[in-house]
Amino acid sequence: MSQDPRMRATINQKLTEMGERERLKELLRAKLTECGWKDQMKAHCKEVIKEKGLEHVTVEDLVVEITPKGRALVPDSVKKELLQRIRSFLAQHAT
Amino acid sequence: MKMEEKSLSGLNETKLEALVDEIYCDLVEDACLGLSFEVHRAVKQGHFFLDDTDQESMKEFEIVDQPGVDVFGQVYNQWKNKECECPNCKRCIAASRFAPHLEKCLGMGRNSSRIANRRLANNNNLNKSESDQEDNDDLNDNDWSYGAEKKAKKRKAEKVYIGYIWVYKNLQNSPRRSKSLKHKNGELSGSTNTEPYKYSYSVGINYETLGPQELRSLLTTQCGVISEHTKKMCTRSQRCPQHTDQQRRSVRVFLLGPSGLPSLPSVDAVARGNGYNIAGGQTLLNRLQWEDPSENSTMDSVASNSSGSNPSDPRRPKKKRPSSTAYSSAVPGDAVQRGSGCQTSAGSSSAGSSTSSTSQGNISFSNKTKRPKQLPAASMGSVYDEFN
Repeated sequence: MSQDPRMRATINQKLTEMGERERLKELLRAKLTECGWKDQMKAHCKEVIKEKGLEHVTVEDLVVEITPKGRALVPDSVKKELLQRIRSFLAQHAT
Repeated sequence: MKMEEKSLSGLNETKLEALVDEIYCDLVEDACLGLSFEVHRAVKQGHFFLDDTDQESMKEFEIVDQPGVDVFGQVYNQWKNKECECPNCKRCIAASRFAPHLEKCLGMGRNSSRIANRRLANNNNLNKSESDQEDNDDLNDNDWSYGAEKKAKKRKAEKVYIGYIWVYKNLQNSPRRSKSLKHKNGELSGSTNTEPYKYSYSVGINYETLGPQELRSLLTTQCGVISEHTKKMCTRSQRCPQHTDQQRRSVRVFLLGPSGLPSLPSVDAVARGNGYNIAGGQTLLNRLQWEDPSENSTMDSVASNSSGSNPSDPRRPKKKRPSSTAYSSAVPGDAVQRGSGCQTSAGSSSAGSSTSSTSQGNISFSNKTKRPKQLPAASMGSVYDEFN
């Protein structure tokens, strides 16, 4: 549908304007720290750094290495909760 | 907005779901990005690897998860069954009881001196069974430090409520114990005692432990009468109402020999004239407090409170004046003798005669049962008479 991009833009805008995005971000961060995801990721980072060498590590390196693993390591409960919240927000404010 | 709404409502669920997923992915990526920045900054600042330790140490301090042992690998009551040999008494003591045992064994620590003193006192009480009949009665009644009764009471309850003040019992020559006197009211003097022998409560001293010089100095300032109860010297002032001058004199003779009398200020006070105030308020009060119905019948001169003579034999004390040395304390219940005793006392003859006259005058009061109330009642009666 041609309306999709516009519609998505609108929704994203609304999400940001109402502060819901920030709230969701904070919620996610807290949950990930709680469940140990952050520590796991840090350990992975250490490996990457040891691989690449301490002096020459760049942000890009880390991002490239970490993001896929990070996405995969998010526990299901956290994922489900977050999706639920987004859905309810959309249901509330998009219709 | 309308178009949006239409479009949204037109969205099928998959699209909606896709949108949701997309938003979710954005959020997760944000989190990862944040983490990368954090790590990169820590690496560049040099504190990323700080909390790492080598493998050996990590293994050493690993959390222990075995039964019967805590997380550090220590057994709970490892020392319960161990025994140690006491270097003092060479006995085998259980480890957990070792420290208290050592405290008592070596005689150091807070409780050991207390217990030792108590033991000494009890031994003294048991050993000294010679009983002067008169002294016995006097001192038994009037002493506030119960020697023999200490055992009967709980060991731990060292505070006794006597009358309206709290008195700490079992206190001997320990200056630091005086801080327990903060409960007391103004009747007894302040609680800071610098001299070890001066107490503000009526627990006495064991005279056996004192040398002659110390005894002498003590006796010049304190009553010093030895309680039959506890075999201790009374630490109250020379005017202590619980004991008579006769008793004080006999104690001094006993402890210091015939030359010990100078330690009695009463000897010096001969010239003072003794002020037998007829209506001496303080002495009157004291006498009233201590008088018993049983005493009245025996003593005529009981009501001669002003003279401060002994009301009766059982209640010997409550004399506020040190002057009356020869208040024939020995013989109870004889007013005439009392009067004569007063008269013959050195330097108090004039006062004595006045005393006897007042004693005559007051005899009527003495024979009543409730003497304390008689005197006010009499005055009241006279007042009403005037009105009528």
